[in-house]
Amino acid sequence: MKPYHLVISTPDGSLFDGEAGLLALRGADGDLAVLAGHIPMMTAIRPGSCKVVLPDETERTGTVDGGLLTVSEDCVTVISGSFTWDK
Amino acid sequence: MGSDTKALRNRIKSVRSTLHLTKAMGLVASSKIRRAGEAMQKSRQYADHLDGILSVLSASPECQKSPYMRHEGDRTRLIVVAGDRGLAGGYNANVFRLCRSYPDAQIIAVGKRACDRFSGSYISAEHFGGKEAYALAKQLCDDFVAGEFDRLGVLYTRYVSMMSQEATIRWILPFEKNEAVKPVSAVFEPDEMTVMTTAVPEYTAGVIVAAVRESFLSEVAARRMAMDSAGKNATQMIDDLQLQYNRARQSSITQEITEIVAGSDVR
Repeated sequence: MKPYHLVISTPDGSLFDGEAGLLALRGADGDLAVLAGHIPMMTAIRPGSCKVVLPDETERTGTVDGGLLTVSEDCVTVISGSFTWDK
Repeated sequence: MGSDTKALRNRIKSVRSTLHLTKAMGLVASSKIRRAGEAMQKSRQYADHLDGILSVLSASPECQKSPYMRHEGDRTRLIVVAGDRGLAGGYNANVFRLCRSYPDAQIIAVGKRACDRFSGSYISAEHFGGKEAYALAKQLCDDFVAGEFDRLGVLYTRYVSMMSQEATIRWILPFEKNEAVKPVSAVFEPDEMTVMTTAVPEYTAGVIVAAVRESFLSEVAARRMAMDSAGKNATQMIDDLQLQYNRARQSSITQEITEIVAGSDVR
């Protein structure tokens, strides 16, 4: 899985800032996944679960309480007022 | 003379206890500075991320019709961030002085000092979190869209350095079109307006949280400096009083000896 730079930013700091292979969450138009090379995009995020697959195939899941997702050429950013990683 | 030395002794004791108090408050403030600085950095990063998104969105022609880009009227609503406690030099006074420049503004107070002055309900500046900020931002954005006010700003204290903090206003709504930003060729899902409607309350909350945390850092830095100089003044005062006390004590001893010698001469 080709890695890209992912940042999950909340008012309490960046909860993730590093390489990821896949990000899956619920956007305004439905579930979506972001892989490397995705076209630049901006969408609203609906509250729900969020999955991050790291380049070594390990999975991390969390809960996001709304926010925004921006995909640019060099970075994917999840901006949310509240994000928590599942234990 | 006896009563004079007693009064001086009492004053020295009282100044010494004030010195203990200022030292303790200074230490508490210094221990909070590092944590407050980290919290400010984190919330500033978040606000900067949102700032970037909003400047892209406000450059898009579709978003010009958004109610958040409405520039008319001058009814102002201000979020005033002051401290929870006093004894921080001119920190609270500077905020209130700047606030007096907007006599017609509706005030939303954060921090005990501001709440005491402007409203009954108490919102702590030290423990102000994302949840409160989101509830407040949502309410403010709804009111702005409903046309209840025309301009929203946050009056907070900008942290320049340990020695200097400056009361300032950051205007949040309405958005100014940033001419320097060119519209980007990104896909907006489902459209620019929906993304903007979601982004604005997030941005407002982000700016409020960042402002409250920066103000809190300014407050503890101001308190630390104020307590440092109060401690120096108290030490100086104790030295002066001690000198006066020693002189008074010495002169009373001299007088007593003189009296005894004079008494023995008579016999």
